Amino acid sequence: MKPAVAGPDKSSGSSWTKRLFTEIWKNRTVYTLLIPGLVWLFLFAYMPMGGLSLAFKEYNARLGIWRSHWIGMENFRYVFRDPNFIAAVWRTLYINIIKLVIQFPFPVLVALLLNELRIRRMSKIFQTVLTFPQFLSWIIVSGIVINVLSYNGLVNSVLSLIGLPTINFLGSESTFVPMLLLTDIWKSTGWGAIIYLAAISGIDQDQYESSQIDGATRMQQTFRITLPNILPTIVVMFILSVGGLMSSGFDQIFNLANAATKNVSEVLDVYIYRITFQSSTDFSFSTAVSLFRSLVNMFLLLLADRGAKLMGGDGLFK
Amino acid sequence: MSRIRQSSKFGGSKLSLIDYVIFVIMLIATLLILIPFWNVIMISIATPKEYADNPLLMFPKNPTLASYKALFADGTILTGFWNTIKLLLAGLPLSLFLTTSMAYGLSRPAFPGKRLFFFLVLFTMIFNGGIVPMYLVMKSLHLTGSLWAVIFSGSFSAYNMILMMNYFYSLPESLMESARLDGAGEWRILFQIVLPLSAPILATIALFYGVCFWNGWYDAMVFLRRIEQLPLQNVLRAIIVESTTNASNAASVDQIGKQSFSMGMKMAAVFVTMVPVMCFFPLLQKHFAKGVLTGAIKT
Repeated sequence: MKPAVAGPDKSSGSSWTKRLFTEIWKNRTVYTLLIPGLVWLFLFAYMPMGGLSLAFKEYNARLGIWRSHWIGMENFRYVFRDPNFIAAVWRTLYINIIKLVIQFPFPVLVALLLNELRIRRMSKIFQTVLTFPQFLSWIIVSGIVINVLSYNGLVNSVLSLIGLPTINFLGSESTFVPMLLLTDIWKSTGWGAIIYLAAISGIDQDQYESSQIDGATRMQQTFRITLPNILPTIVVMFILSVGGLMSSGFDQIFNLANAATKNVSEVLDVYIYRITFQSSTDFSFSTAVSLFRSLVNMFLLLLADRGAKLMGGDGLFK
Repeated sequence: MSRIRQSSKFGGSKLSLIDYVIFVIMLIATLLILIPFWNVIMISIATPKEYADNPLLMFPKNPTLASYKALFADGTILTGFWNTIKLLLAGLPLSLFLTTSMAYGLSRPAFPGKRLFFFLVLFTMIFNGGIVPMYLVMKSLHLTGSLWAVIFSGSFSAYNMILMMNYFYSLPESLMESARLDGAGEWRILFQIVLPLSAPILATIALFYGVCFWNGWYDAMVFLRRIEQLPLQNVLRAIIVESTTNASNAASVDQIGKQSFSMGMKMAAVFVTMVPVMCFFPLLQKHFAKGVLTGAIKT
């Protein structure tokens, strides 16, 4: 790529900078192309990151983010003493861990079932229908959920029709987490199955053929060949979801919570929204919480990435 | 997407009991997805009385468009549509421009600073300021209260950029080299050789951003103030979510009667917001599956 310049004149002091400038000049098109993206990154990614410095300042509307006065760790002392904050952190972990454990097997199961379905055209139709809800926003889905699960909605009508007690899915604290599980399984299982179906389609066909010659049943094939072959994918997907333990589920919870469930629905992101935009605002305090959230998220993501790579997967960033 | 391995192997053999069991399980799962949608659509065309009598309603006897008329008479849903269209009209070209230029730039062979710039993009995937500083930055740029705040905050995504960059990497460098030998400048190579070859990835990325703009609501909720500025999803949210509390504990008959009418309107709003997604769904499914398989989309 860079022939003549690199060779003879390395003795002179200016040649290094000169070479650099030649390189830069040669690539001027590339730099021009990068400018719009870099401007965006600066304004809407790195400025907000810099804005996190407000966590160590006392926000003064007149002085703005950048010139407010430093007060050290003062804000954090209040943050960690706020019982609502502590509760929100634990609640986030609690809800997401329960969701991770209970929900995780469903896409695997659906992928295995779809794979075993021998009527090919039906498999395609099923898969299409199951995938669809993933593309709807949680606002649309919550509209559907409110209709289906409300006190006089579809599910409760069926329950009372067959003589079972009705359940107040949306308006009671004890059913809140089960309701989250139910609706999230409904929305995202089909989509989650796709990655496993892809892994299954990559399995060497010879294994099935030779096992068949040995007289293996389909059940045995599923448990002895298919499942072990996609196990690495399963493990990697599980580890990757650890990265979202502190941040996932906000859209769902925010749109399905209501006044009756406000005591069990305030996860960290909901808490941040409430203290920032709904109650009397202390921007430094909110920013301190934001910084805590961003740091924990980064830690979890890096952990997940390292874990996935250890398991031989691609990690989060390839 | 799914490759059903047995098709050739078992093609001749008869279906056994287990095949029927699996079929029935999957059929039930599929119906569990479809019935709620069906119910939503049916309630949206039912009369309030019929809904009050039987919310289980699968085939209304006197279908009516009254709920839709009531929904559109109000006008907020139309403003919502229009605002979302404005978001798409400005946001899609901007996001494609930002993403393509950055991705193509970073896909060029080694140049000074390449690794640093790539790291700057990558880092936004693991760390961000969060909503509070973002709000303050938008405010200091005098963008809050303007649709531009929503457009700007959604117009670049590191995932999409990396997906696109990988596509550019996969184009043979010899192609560009020979054009260079023929005397084409860098800009000409980009516009006359690379971009025409990139139609598939441009379509994919446009769909990704399109879905984000269509489904997005949080930025609008935080950055916008006035109701007539809100995009469709936020209007829908105002119609559905912000009036749920009374839906879960209705008592008197009168209240139920009134409430069912509002339920009809809510379901009409849900359906209207869903229709465009349904229309694009075949395309979406194909392209998003591709994205998930190349590891670029993790939602």
